[in-house]
Amino acid sequence: MIPLVALVAMAVLALAAPLLHRRLGRDTGYLLAAGFAGVGGLLATGAPAVLDGGAVTASWTWLPSLQVSFALRLDGLAGLFCLIVLGVGVLVMAYSARYMGDSNRNGVVYGLLTLFAGAMLGLVLAADVVLLYVFWEMTTVCSFALIGTAGQVAVKPGRRALLITAAGGLALLLAVIMLSVVVGTTDLAIILAEREQVLASPLAWPIGALIATAAFSKSAQLPLHFWLPGAMVAMTPVSAYLHAATMVKAGIYLLMRTTPLFADQPAWSALLITVGLITAVAGAFMALREHDLKAILAQSTVSQLGLLIAVIGVGTPVALAAAMLHTFAHALFKATLFMLVGIIDKETGSRDIRELSGLRRVMPITATVTGLAALSMAGVPPMLGFVSKEYLFQGLLQADFAPWAGPVAGALGVTASALTFAYGMRIFYGAFGGPTRQPDLYEPSPAFLAPAALPALVGLALGPGIDLLNPMVTRAAADVVYVGAVPEFSFWHGLSPEVVMSAITIAVGSLLFLRRDPVDRALQRLRLPDGAALFDRTHDATLALGSAVGRPDRTGILAAHLARPVAALVVLGVVGLATVGELPPRSSTDQPLDWPVLALLGLTVAATVRTRSALAALGLVGSVGLVVAAWFLLAGAVDVALTLLLVEVLTAVVAVLVLRRLPLGLGGAGRPRVTLAAGLGVAAGFAAALATFALTGRRGLSEAGAWFLESAEAETGGTNVVNTILVDFRGMDTLGEAIVLGAAAVGLLVLLRRDDDPRAEDERAAARLRRGQTDGGLVLQVSSRVLIPGMALLSAYLLWRGHDEPGGGFIAALVGGIAVGLYQVAHGFPGLPRLLRPELLVGAGLVVALGTGLGAAAVGDPFLTPFDIPVLGAAGIGSALVFDLGVYLLVLGLLAAAFDRLSTGTPGAGPARPVSAPEEPTAGEPTPEPAGSRPRGAGSVVGTPGGGDAR
Amino acid sequence: MTAAVAVGVLVAGGVYLVLQRNLVRVVLGFVLLGHAVNVLVLAAGGMDRRGLPLIGQGDPATAADPLPQAFVLTAIVITFGITVYLLALARAGGADTERDAVEPGDDGVGGGR
Repeated sequence: MIPLVALVAMAVLALAAPLLHRRLGRDTGYLLAAGFAGVGGLLATGAPAVLDGGAVTASWTWLPSLQVSFALRLDGLAGLFCLIVLGVGVLVMAYSARYMGDSNRNGVVYGLLTLFAGAMLGLVLAADVVLLYVFWEMTTVCSFALIGTAGQVAVKPGRRALLITAAGGLALLLAVIMLSVVVGTTDLAIILAEREQVLASPLAWPIGALIATAAFSKSAQLPLHFWLPGAMVAMTPVSAYLHAATMVKAGIYLLMRTTPLFADQPAWSALLITVGLITAVAGAFMALREHDLKAILAQSTVSQLGLLIAVIGVGTPVALAAAMLHTFAHALFKATLFMLVGIIDKETGSRDIRELSGLRRVMPITATVTGLAALSMAGVPPMLGFVSKEYLFQGLLQADFAPWAGPVAGALGVTASALTFAYGMRIFYGAFGGPTRQPDLYEPSPAFLAPAALPALVGLALGPGIDLLNPMVTRAAADVVYVGAVPEFSFWHGLSPEVVMSAITIAVGSLLFLRRDPVDRALQRLRLPDGAALFDRTHDATLALGSAVGRPDRTGILAAHLARPVAALVVLGVVGLATVGELPPRSSTDQPLDWPVLALLGLTVAATVRTRSALAALGLVGSVGLVVAAWFLLAGAVDVALTLLLVEVLTAVVAVLVLRRLPLGLGGAGRPRVTLAAGLGVAAGFAAALATFALTGRRGLSEAGAWFLESAEAETGGTNVVNTILVDFRGMDTLGEAIVLGAAAVGLLVLLRRDDDPRAEDERAAARLRRGQTDGGLVLQVSSRVLIPGMALLSAYLLWRGHDEPGGGFIAALVGGIAVGLYQVAHGFPGLPRLLRPELLVGAGLVVALGTGLGAAAVGDPFLTPFDIPVLGAAGIGSALVFDLGVYLLVLGLLAAAFDRLSTGTPGAGPARPVSAPEEPTAGEPTPEPAGSRPRGAGSVVGTPGGGDAR
Repeated sequence: MTAAVAVGVLVAGGVYLVLQRNLVRVVLGFVLLGHAVNVLVLAAGGMDRRGLPLIGQGDPATAADPLPQAFVLTAIVITFGITVYLLALARAGGADTERDAVEPGDDGVGGGR
């Protein structure tokens, strides 16, 4: 329970931080420091159990279907890292309270820092690998957000940090998945216990490589190290906390945790030791050539992390214990140094050692504390850093993946440490040595200095007082050492090889420092590959590639968007033709009447394509529709033919309404476009024809069709099988389709608002008068009085009989729509009667159709199951008919919307298009333009030769 | 065979029109493509059985497959809905699909710099 309470407390603190900041300003840091200390105290109540070799656990079911649980476990290793996270957290928060200003932005920084601390705690406490991964990524995101608070300068560094560490996170995710597949559980303890099973599986080495990759990316190892120095654009508390003491140690933690799996594998040792030591030496070199104090510290962190990874790679009990001790020591001295550099920066306005000088006279206490921390980093007795480095050397000498590994590793460790000594002195001397240039400076306030000074003093005390740390570190090491006993540390353990190595380190380091000018010149001449620049170039190139790939899609030219899918279909057809194998025999299905219909089809399509008059094109497309309807009739689809017939009539009416406001010419097209369009059209036509020929007419009646023909009447009582499919069997599909129509109606209503301006109406009336034409004409008005009631009756009859005979909701609504259209045309588009308002029809249709479906649910059947209606059932009215009525209303709603808005509405949004001149011909009186003449209105550029193709 | 030819003719005409600049032509092209697909779907049911799928009328052994007919029926109505909507777009935005065409690269997307 304790670990969960700790995490919840951190989450609460993180949420509360920005709110507290509004009231308390920067002093929020003190409150958060107290909160961190409280959480630490809470976890410490588990310490006795942990030190006894036990663990404090808590587990909740999280994703039961994946057997992933929200399991937490506080053991020795987790406890050590919790101490670092919360301990450094307390110091950094207290430091921030004096470092930060009161700016509102800092409330967010406090919140993110606390959230990060919680994520880091979760990461080390997680007892489930999936949970561990989630917290791992949370720390990455927090780090990115915190770097981002630095503003514009942080864009590139933040991106590098995010992409590198998130890529590592993905590697970890892969490893987690593989591990859970191999072992069959996501429980971390079980996975670690099933060592043999993991090693025996073929995935063993991918898993190891992925875990190492994840750790290398998070802990900034070569060649992925460059994100860490870049991350130093973040403010100092962030650098001290995330990018020195804790987050970059997540990789270290992961490697320690998984050590039991791979520790005795030479390849694992070789990988970790090689990468770690190369990074250690290279990082130290890079640190020695920097002039910015913060940059020196950043490169130093890279180097120290390398040492840690190398020594984890050795994997012996001494090596692992040394790694843990040094992790602790490093957190102490590196956090101190960062915070002190922040103080120097604030006080002097610079971090460049070429500008700083002689601060020891004006800031003696700061100088002393910095000196202590630098000595600890350099591994000079009696600091804690000395003890941990001694054991690091001892561990490195035990490297045994090859006979020469131990001595070489030791030598490289000494090299890195000598360089560390040199840049440690460089930091101290650079800032505090030499003549005093800024004599007016003074010590920072005690409140500002104390959080930075405390860890340096602790580092001083714990060197000789190493016995205080022994129980915790040996207990932590015991968690991951699977064979052998963990040694106790001692401050002085006789004249051993590592003491000699320490002496060499200090001697060489001193030499490098004393000869600093020639060393500096030599190092400045070195041309090192710039990983960050390479990364940025790759990143930009990737984006450029994406932009190039997407460019054709970012054109506003419609034809360009449509041509490629069509071409792709043609290619698909060709590929299909080439790869299709033996096809079943085709039954001859042609009938003599098919051919004249086909000939008509060819003629009408050709004419449609050729014409340049919009009205002619409309009429011709209508003719195509009629021919297709005839073809449907020949195919035995009477309902379909009927529907198409009515749709063609309505399409013509609607299109004419639209064309009243558009140029009547369609314009020509340039030769390139004609050639391209014709070529693609013919190719697509061929592909489609071949596909149709190849894939149809090669089997008998489908099973579903046979079943419907056989059981429709018995199941539904209807004899029109097509209609029963629509309203009974597949009512859900029909409902969806009817709703699409309703949506189109709503779209129309939104797109074109009603033109209620009385002046416009007057103008139109005046224009009609000028043409000697009253609304719609007398004949039309009189005949509509007779026709409309008849059509309404017919419509109702078609709806009613649809279940048994050709008809149904769609067809009936189309007939009703024609009646509405007739009314509109005859009466000069006066607006619809209240009952036929499109929004009302669509709404009513939805209510009726959905209500029928829900009625079934009320009876206890699944949604839309047909059911008997108590009273109406006697009159032959079932739920299917009511449902069809809903469909009817939705379709009628669309038609009403079309007539209402297309006849009078004006565009509701966007720049107003010039309203067409009053003398423009209306539907009833077309005066087609001569083909090829310059069209009027908006389409004035239509017909420019080569129009869009030339671009 | 006739179905295949019909589909081919309709697709050829439809694709040609869809690639034109005038939006009315494009809309009409979509109508033709809609016809083509409807013919194809109906042909998929088999063109050897051409009787009406009405129970009690005609020989059940030659009744056409009702399922594609149901598909096509709704498809026709949907196509009509889309046609009306496209026409409304033409009405709202003008018939020229390329008048305000954005040139590639003008949109500030890409590069990331």
